[in-house]
Amino acid sequence: MLRKIAFNLFAWSIVLMVAFPLFWMLVTSVKPQFELFRRPPTILPETWTFEHYWKLLSDTNFLGYFWNSVILSTTTTIVVVAIATVGAYSLVRFRYKGRESLAFLVLFTYLLPSVVLILPLYLMLVQLGLSNTITSLVIAYTTFALPYALWLLRSFMAGIPEDLESAALVDGASRLGAFWDIILPQLLPGIISTALFTFILSWNEYLYALVLVNSDDARPLTTGVMNMLISSFNIEWSLLMAASVMMSVPLIIVFAFLQSYLTRGFGAGGVKG
Amino acid sequence: MKNPSMISKGISRRGALQGLVATTAVAAMPMRASAQDVTLRWWSPQGAPAQVDAYMAQIAAFEAANPGIKVVFETTSDEGYAPQLAAAFSSGEVPDIVTHLPSFAIQSYYANGLVEPFNDVIEAIGADDYYPGANDVFKAADGNYVGTGIGNSAANMLWLRKDLMAEAGISDAPRTWDALRSACQAMQKNGIYGAPLPYGRNSMTTLIFVGVIHQAGGQVFDTDLNVALDNQATRDALEFYASMRELCPPGATNYSWGEAITAFVSGATATGIYTGRVLGNVNAQNPPIADSVTCVTYPTKSAEIPAWTFNDFPSVFIPKQSNNIGAAKAFAASLFNPDGYIQQLHAAPGHVLPVLKSINNNPAYQSNDIIQKYPAEVELMSQAAAGGFNLGYESANHPSNDKAGEVVGSGVIADMVQRVVLNGENADQVIGETTAAIDSIMNG
Amino acid sequence: MLAAVGPPAARRPDPQRYAMAKQQQTVLERQYSRLGLLLIAPTVLVFCAVIAYPLVSAIYLSLFKIFTPTLEGTWVGLDNYRTLLVKGEFWTSLRANLIWTVGTLTLQIIFGVGMALVLHQNIWFRSLARSLILFPYFISTVVAVLVWKWLFNDLYGILNHLMISAGLIDWPIDYLGTMPNAMISVILVGAWKYFPFVVIAVLARLQSIPDQLYEAARIDGAGPIARFFDVTLPQLREVLVVIIMLRAIWDFKEFDLIFLLTGGGPVTSTQTLPLVVYKEAFALNQMGMAAAYAVIMMLIMLVFMILYMRRTQREDT
Repeated sequence: MLRKIAFNLFAWSIVLMVAFPLFWMLVTSVKPQFELFRRPPTILPETWTFEHYWKLLSDTNFLGYFWNSVILSTTTTIVVVAIATVGAYSLVRFRYKGRESLAFLVLFTYLLPSVVLILPLYLMLVQLGLSNTITSLVIAYTTFALPYALWLLRSFMAGIPEDLESAALVDGASRLGAFWDIILPQLLPGIISTALFTFILSWNEYLYALVLVNSDDARPLTTGVMNMLISSFNIEWSLLMAASVMMSVPLIIVFAFLQSYLTRGFGAGGVKG
Repeated sequence: MKNPSMISKGISRRGALQGLVATTAVAAMPMRASAQDVTLRWWSPQGAPAQVDAYMAQIAAFEAANPGIKVVFETTSDEGYAPQLAAAFSSGEVPDIVTHLPSFAIQSYYANGLVEPFNDVIEAIGADDYYPGANDVFKAADGNYVGTGIGNSAANMLWLRKDLMAEAGISDAPRTWDALRSACQAMQKNGIYGAPLPYGRNSMTTLIFVGVIHQAGGQVFDTDLNVALDNQATRDALEFYASMRELCPPGATNYSWGEAITAFVSGATATGIYTGRVLGNVNAQNPPIADSVTCVTYPTKSAEIPAWTFNDFPSVFIPKQSNNIGAAKAFAASLFNPDGYIQQLHAAPGHVLPVLKSINNNPAYQSNDIIQKYPAEVELMSQAAAGGFNLGYESANHPSNDKAGEVVGSGVIADMVQRVVLNGENADQVIGETTAAIDSIMNG
Repeated sequence: MLAAVGPPAARRPDPQRYAMAKQQQTVLERQYSRLGLLLIAPTVLVFCAVIAYPLVSAIYLSLFKIFTPTLEGTWVGLDNYRTLLVKGEFWTSLRANLIWTVGTLTLQIIFGVGMALVLHQNIWFRSLARSLILFPYFISTVVAVLVWKWLFNDLYGILNHLMISAGLIDWPIDYLGTMPNAMISVILVGAWKYFPFVVIAVLARLQSIPDQLYEAARIDGAGPIARFFDVTLPQLREVLVVIIMLRAIWDFKEFDLIFLLTGGGPVTSTQTLPLVVYKEAFALNQMGMAAAYAVIMMLIMLVFMILYMRRTQREDT
């Protein structure tokens, strides 16, 4: 029993150490600015204040960036998951020439570094007259999100027993009909996992947003917050921490309600690819 | 070049890329021509909330007078504007007007054909109203003006705390490096550091250190724009800068403007290095020390060497690729209307100082609380800034250096500081390599 | 993975029926493969447009000297590569890149496996603990960097304060501005951010190790440490190899974390290859040279990538 308690204390002290930066972020965000400059620092805030959150929402363009991020991540997710679902179905359940090399290509692009693609992609989007738009970022994000989603969905698809589909085909269903009625419902948990991963990837992306967009109309949160708050006239840590907390809001929601899907995504795509 | 077949055919000369640029322009044009209302994008790295409020007032006044034109303000940053503008220029998605960038940056852009000449705007503002010579720094080799000053700034003032000096028994503001060092040593205690000098790999370190070289009696370029670093003055400057390291907070190795001002204003350092923005920030964020702050020009190696003030000559310019050059010029001129201009200057009193005589003499400008509270400091900064220089304009005898922006952007001077001060590398060798690196930028 | 195509219509040795059925089947098969191609078409189109084509252009761009703001370029052939390979910067960046990758990967694996073993035990509030461990992996790098910069702050940072009051140091540490601190800090933050990936992957594998193996080992008198080395580790071998290759690829190309934490400094001590690409393209305005760096970097990674892909391929079949 004593050993069990000791082990639990040990385990939890490690967990809390890992989580400490996040705790500190929360605490700092509700401290008034002058309290940050206190020496020695206070651990729990002496005065609680939500002024930084208020300032962020009312005085800055935070909501604008937030909205851009929502549109950007949602569009990317819908486009990518739609293409990847039919693509994965085709890769797993059909036979045609070049299928194997295609699967190989998917894996290759999945591992490809963004830095290689970013310059030509940038020139291409400039040429199309799309630079500085959310659309340009959606296009850029498919370069990493689509291979990722395909890879995940491919393993989910492979996990669905083939008998069900065959039975439907024997019963006279068309191939697409069987896909719609049999495969999709089975695949739904996998689709949700993939969608969540894609959304989070897009929400957190930084490099493409840094290079492709230089206007507040299209800037997402990652580059927006850095551009707005790391300034040459003042560094307000409590404001930065409040922004960090607010940036993580969608993530906190996913963690609170949909976490099992995230772990499932790991199981399917995380280990294999 | 977007056609892979070109690779095999080998039609891959200069024309390929120019073709790309041409297609870009053609592809982009119809989309923009269809827009009925004109929207101007305005960029500035000076985006403190009070300043943005002032900009909004200026925008509102302009929009009211010019129906159909909208102006959108967006912030960029001192460390980030170079890559952002590089991307903007290459994509053709440029801002229509850019303010508060240092003069040497515009000279570099102008030399590459990216900036619209500004002569007519200066006429519209009133060429006679400027202080004599105020626009010299914006004159290009072809005789055109590449932009104009929206203000002056004295960016390397030495900020002091009279209370800490009294405590440490220091009666006079330091005039020489030795005096500065011993003052910092005397005041560095109880968790307070001597100075917040920047040692980061960033443009502030470059810009401040160029000043230090001059404070040692040296220069980066001679008057024929040959690199002139390899001499005793540069070695002295590096030695001084290294000796100050232990008098600066540990994190100074990553300091840029924001960290430097926050360190002094929050009371963490006994001296500061910044513009007059310190005055406003101290009064707003740390009132208890507000009555004890003062400033002098930054000390030099010996009393014989005159002070060298770094003035980045905050500017206004219009990118050539703007589709609304006419509207942008009208807006640029409107920024100098007394009401709006004074409000903009008051948003950070003493930080950006007026370039127009009529504004400086305007009672409305002088009636600001901070300017009233620190008359001696503001006057000193005005004097120092008016006689200030920067890397694109190192002295009155230097011709304009249109590669200065790239030298600053490349970070070679900050690298030199870091290599000698932080890594302890041999100064002679580092100076030699830095000279070679700047040479290759000048010839590149 | 090996798809059965169409219903198994004909198995009987009736030659006529067999021939007919076979004919039917080939018609169906042809239809199916056409449908399969139709379904994969969007993917292929997107791949060509946004991946294959840019990839080829990247190589093409690297043969020019291009001034970024004007995009004016001159053909220089392989000059960029020649300059790059003799320039010290490439080699120091490659070195920094390797130090970072090996350092952070090692820590990720050690912490990851250790934490997975802990979480595999029945500790109190296990699912809450797992959520807390998982969180760093999913937060934005921007957020992670801001939080760590605040923890590392020289004047007001909690880390320095705690270490001073614990008597470990007399003077605040400069975590990000001097060497070797900067590299160590970057590696640590990288490990903190990415080790949850290892935890989850290993945890999944641990849960599938049959209990009998441990029972047998216990009967043989093996203690907990011997059981770890004799039973657990061999069982984890496969999954660890895959994780290491995958994480090596991802860590090697990391940009955000290092760029935002140190920007490559001090001097170029933490400047990895992706940072050089960005610097060449947008700070030094040498887009052609930047493309050359990117291509070289890809060639280096290709080794890892091919190793990993061959392994995955083998598992599939």
